[in-house]
Amino acid sequence: MKTNLIRRKLSDGFLQFLTLFSSLLAVGVLTALFYYIFANGLSLMNTDLLRNDYWSVSKIVAFDETVNQPGLYPRPQDLDESVAWSEKWGIGFVDYLSHEKKQLVLIETVAADSPLQSAFDTSAGAAQGKPVALSAGLQVEKIDFSQAAGTADFTGMLASATAAEVAQTLDQQAVKLTSIFIKTPGGGIRGSIITTAYLILVSLLIALPIGIASAVYLSEMAKKNRINMLIRTGIETLTGVPSIVYGLMGVSVLFPITALMGAKTTNILLGALTMAIILLPTIIRSTEEALLVVPKGLRDASLSLGASQTQTIFKITLPCAMPGILSGILLSIGRVVGESAALIYTMGTFINDKPGLLKQGTSLAVHIWSVMSGEQPNFELACAISIMILIFVLILNIAVKFLTRRLQKSWH
Amino acid sequence: METCFEVKDLNLYYGENQALKHLNLTIGRNRVMALIGPSGCGKSTFLRCLNRMNDLIENCRITGEIHLLEQNIYDQKMNVVQLRTKVGMVFQKPNPFPMSIYDNIAYGPRCQGVKEKKLLNQIVERSLKSAALYEEVKDRLHDSAMALSGGQQQRLCIARAIAMEPEVILMDEPTSALDPIATAKIEELIEQLKKTYTIVIVTHSMQQASRVSDDTAFFLLGEIVETDKTLTIFSKPKDKRTEDYISGRFG
Repeated sequence: MKTNLIRRKLSDGFLQFLTLFSSLLAVGVLTALFYYIFANGLSLMNTDLLRNDYWSVSKIVAFDETVNQPGLYPRPQDLDESVAWSEKWGIGFVDYLSHEKKQLVLIETVAADSPLQSAFDTSAGAAQGKPVALSAGLQVEKIDFSQAAGTADFTGMLASATAAEVAQTLDQQAVKLTSIFIKTPGGGIRGSIITTAYLILVSLLIALPIGIASAVYLSEMAKKNRINMLIRTGIETLTGVPSIVYGLMGVSVLFPITALMGAKTTNILLGALTMAIILLPTIIRSTEEALLVVPKGLRDASLSLGASQTQTIFKITLPCAMPGILSGILLSIGRVVGESAALIYTMGTFINDKPGLLKQGTSLAVHIWSVMSGEQPNFELACAISIMILIFVLILNIAVKFLTRRLQKSWH
Repeated sequence: METCFEVKDLNLYYGENQALKHLNLTIGRNRVMALIGPSGCGKSTFLRCLNRMNDLIENCRITGEIHLLEQNIYDQKMNVVQLRTKVGMVFQKPNPFPMSIYDNIAYGPRCQGVKEKKLLNQIVERSLKSAALYEEVKDRLHDSAMALSGGQQQRLCIARAIAMEPEVILMDEPTSALDPIATAKIEELIEQLKKTYTIVIVTHSMQQASRVSDDTAFFLLGEIVETDKTLTIFSKPKDKRTEDYISGRFG
């Protein structure tokens, strides 16, 4: 008897420990994931990341001959201590450590009356001769100048100079600036954010009306017969199809549609169309569930007032199901943000800073894939984008919870 | 006495199961007809036959005729939507739409294509006054109807039915979810409404039936056992089963 009791206690204890351990493991994994991503990506999280292009553009600028001489430009009062100011040329530089741990010299500010305001583009191309604003954040690769003796010299990052050294060299040696080689900052994800927004918008625009309409048909109008059972089973099966298969279908079946509209490569519209198809089952399911929750009494009341079935659906049932439908929309947005496999096929992996519907581009998730698949994977940037996706999805989930609670509250 | 509904040999089946058996009943115009009987006896089912709400139930089959003012509502040519504008219904649980009080009342007329603001205003005011609700809500017509109390919600549902200017108002245990004070108000209202409308009310409360109705029909197991003037039914029932039920021996 006694040994039995001990044995039972032991086995109970073991099973209890097992359940607790499992749930702790799940939480632990999540915590570790968050820690890893935040530890690596947080240093990159700033407005520049959201604002900047991914590809940096190089330019060589020259200056108007008539003003190209040193003057006296006093250091602005409100300028930060860390800025190195060139009094003779009226320009301030700062040191900056890039996420690739590269020492950069950036332009911080240029005096309003400085000769550097007359900068124009000398690089070949459409923009040649056009004025260039030397705005804050531009990388100073190389500054060519002439010295008093007429000899040429240069300073800047290519000369391994710091901001202070660049300012000092300019003040002490330069009598005329030949050219400045500048580089716009890269590594930003502005293009991918825009692409993601395009994707969400277009795919929802297509999937929502179709999805809601078919949900209404299935749950409100369809009689229980074999064809409708078949349709329902079909939709349920669609939910389980891996997205990469949808991607294949997108490339082979949907591409001709976008080609008709003038697309020459895989493109964002194609990605959005494919996404719309992936979203359809989700939207249909969530709308159907939302419609189910609407009390029968409301439908009866509407019908008893002489409303037709269609009027009842569109004036009463659908509006009442709105919170549920909305949470379906939010879930769909989450799905679009998280999708990568189907989009790699259909939109390509070229990070496009100026995305358009019929051009290639990357969503945030594909952007991660893109920066990680190169020869030098960029962990920091990938983690920074992951933070953005995580936060976005977290907000969506909280919104869904909130809406679900609203929905339950309004009926019970 | 003018006839409103004339029910002739009505049978209703749920699949194989016969729920209503050979019903014959005459409901007088501008009178209150109470349908009483134990739970599951078919009185609510019968009520829903009067505005063809049973049409929506799959597997439900109906034979026989119901004439509303000389017109068979189960005729092939009958427009069900049109019928329901003539036969309004109030349900057991107050079920206002989750919209403003005004929109609740205006819902029916709007579905019929009434768009004119002035006309809708009139309809809303008149209906709320008829349902004795106007004074209580006139300052908050555009607030949500869900914020009203249960009794107010039920009167709103009556007002909503009245807005269609129906011939008949069907009431399916309209006070079973309400407290005694709200119940008294609804009963008072029924007294008022019968001047204009025919009312068919399903009730579980014998007292309510005796208080508000002119005629009473006693249902048992899908059949009408007895129908007569309410006074007669409650004082001198002809059938033993009726007597047993109203004296509380079963049900």
